[in-house]
Amino acid sequence: MPVRRLSEFIRALRGAGLRISPDEASQAMEAVALVGYEGRARFHDALSVTLVKAEQDRLAFETTFSRFFDGETAEQGAGARESDSVGDVASILPADLLAQMPDEIQSLLNADANALSQAMAEAAAAMNFTDMQVITQQGLYTRRLLMSMGMGAVDDQVIQLSQGSATQQAQADQLREWRGRVREQASSLVRRQFLLHGTGHGRELREQTMRAVAFRDLREFREVQALVRKMARRLASLHQRRLKRSRRGRLDGRRTLAGSLRHDGVPAQLHWQQMPPRKSRIMVICDVSSSVSEPARFLLQFLYALNDVLPQVRSFAFASRFDEVTEDFSRYSPDVAVGRVLDRLSGSGTDYGQMFETFWRRCERQLDRHTTVIILGDARNNALPEGAETLAQIRRRVRQVWWLNPESRSQWNSGDAVMDRYLPHCREAHRCRNLNDLERAVDRLLVSLRQSS
Amino acid sequence: MKTRIESVEDIVSSFAGQGYICSEQVALAIYLAAQLNKPVLVEGPPGVGKTELAKAASAFLEAPLIRLQCYEGLDESRALYEWKYGKQLLYTQLLRDKLGSMLADTDSLDASMARLGDLGEAFYSDTFLEPRPLLQALRSDEPAVLLIDEIDKADQEFEAFLLELLSDFQISIPELGTVRAKHQPLVLLTSNDQRELSDALKRRCLHLYIPYPAPELESQIVSARVPELDGQLRDQLVAFIQYLREQDMKKLPAISETLDWARALVLLHADSLSQELVADTLNLVLKTEQDVTLARELLPGWLRKFGKR
Repeated sequence: MPVRRLSEFIRALRGAGLRISPDEASQAMEAVALVGYEGRARFHDALSVTLVKAEQDRLAFETTFSRFFDGETAEQGAGARESDSVGDVASILPADLLAQMPDEIQSLLNADANALSQAMAEAAAAMNFTDMQVITQQGLYTRRLLMSMGMGAVDDQVIQLSQGSATQQAQADQLREWRGRVREQASSLVRRQFLLHGTGHGRELREQTMRAVAFRDLREFREVQALVRKMARRLASLHQRRLKRSRRGRLDGRRTLAGSLRHDGVPAQLHWQQMPPRKSRIMVICDVSSSVSEPARFLLQFLYALNDVLPQVRSFAFASRFDEVTEDFSRYSPDVAVGRVLDRLSGSGTDYGQMFETFWRRCERQLDRHTTVIILGDARNNALPEGAETLAQIRRRVRQVWWLNPESRSQWNSGDAVMDRYLPHCREAHRCRNLNDLERAVDRLLVSLRQSS
Repeated sequence: MKTRIESVEDIVSSFAGQGYICSEQVALAIYLAAQLNKPVLVEGPPGVGKTELAKAASAFLEAPLIRLQCYEGLDESRALYEWKYGKQLLYTQLLRDKLGSMLADTDSLDASMARLGDLGEAFYSDTFLEPRPLLQALRSDEPAVLLIDEIDKADQEFEAFLLELLSDFQISIPELGTVRAKHQPLVLLTSNDQRELSDALKRRCLHLYIPYPAPELESQIVSARVPELDGQLRDQLVAFIQYLREQDMKKLPAISETLDWARALVLLHADSLSQELVADTLNLVLKTEQDVTLARELLPGWLRKFGKR
């Protein structure tokens, strides 16, 4: 197997979402050169050891591997199977007709299935499938492949024959049928290539769409869970908690002096006072009434995926009633948890004033200067008392209050929304309509948590 | 150190000779690491033999094993080198008179400084250098196997500090300059996935994931490590452990626990898994009360289904 096949495979892997550096690619080549291509299991293991660096990429690797290398053996198998169906067109057409045709067609028609597959594979090797980006390009590529095999001449022949006598027309039909079978084979080859190379670009495109589409339409995408996890992981590694800060802060005079006794009073080793680890706590209050339940699902999912960086998250939800939902999310997967919460609390008629009251009564003791309160909701209060004073009271006790609103800014005060009454008490307020907004908001949150501790 | 490794099979059989039974993938990773001179990052759940792998590799390569255990707050002075302050001070004390007499015939401060300078870097030389594992591995006279254990427990700064070592097998020490490895060591890093390691580190390493073993492999491991155990009981035990791993446990039983249990059963002269026996010895396998309770509940059902042969 030439190096080119391998580098195509690596491109396909990149398309499937793995991040492979040129250095890793060359390592893979070296490794394969060492173990050889014969033992399939060993070949597979060598590639996996050098290219798969995270367990979450394993599945993508396995799929791509089997698609890529099983495709090859399947191609040959298919060729052998179809030998009786595709190949025998030459025997149907009369010999004198065949003799009249141009040489290139003769060689095509005379070829048996294996030779035909061979010709197709050669033509395919000369083409560059890696540029294929969207699914509709398959037809175009199939046509190009057939043309470069010399099938254009067959097309002309079919047109010529179909204008002739009855026997000639019958021959034209047979030729047409044969051409159809060849085309089928070609298009299946192109489809396989598309799955390998095209899906990568498609995936990127889909990811961008998923990030920008409003939360309520996100349900239609299947991969959204994986995307959320990926985004959260990226943020987590960006803001990873520093385990310990050494050599910083104030000198620990007592320990330094005590240590210096060993060295005859020379303070050979300085000791520093350790900073106590940061204890920022986050309390999220989510509106889960029908209009906003989708953003709430994603916000909570995001925050719990950030467990590394945000160890203390308590979550509350309210619609017609208010309750703590931390347990549900720590015990069940986000999908199940959201379902349970909705069952328990759903209903219409959100009352923000009442909610602030209840929250204050329940959590007053836990509110301190390490706490950040995040409220996710559209501030549509059904013309009930808005309870901004209670929010002010909460704000005075905690470090900061954030508001995430799933509607765009111009809607914040329309209708029964009373966002402007709450805004003065929030340190930051953001629109949170889609995954991009959410990521940006959480990123800012993490930065703000790190700065002031 | 062995300079030539014949083949992957060679590694498998040598490991097996030491009682370390592994899948071919594990052996292949070691083979590639030795051939390509790349470090290997070994990940997997606790207790699947990540550290054991390093020991087996060192025995196979006939190279000394140098181990660096990582922990929170590990810094260069613990991992790389340290000056022996105490010894330096002691020497200056003892040599005070000598120094005094040496400097007696100089009359200006500059002259004394120059004289002291002539003494060279006497106090920052090898005599006062305390090499820690990383430096030991680099300066070792024969190639060594360097095990950096539980890298995920160390800080991110330390991880960044390792990058130079892992890619170029050299390390910069301000007082001594760059130390290059005399012989490239085989580096194994292990991680329990406590935190995500940086991409830069992963990129420099081959990556090996050791999962819980398949039933056949686990059975082989038990028979190699606890040969006294009766064959039928062994299969039963492995089947039960495998069954436990499918359950929703807080801490899944690893190979080391299987082996502990097997040894206990040998001591108790057991010949098959009975309900009382399992109930009594279950705390060897499961380490939290919650799991033990769950396993006790599951046990009768399992015995009915699979226990009788």
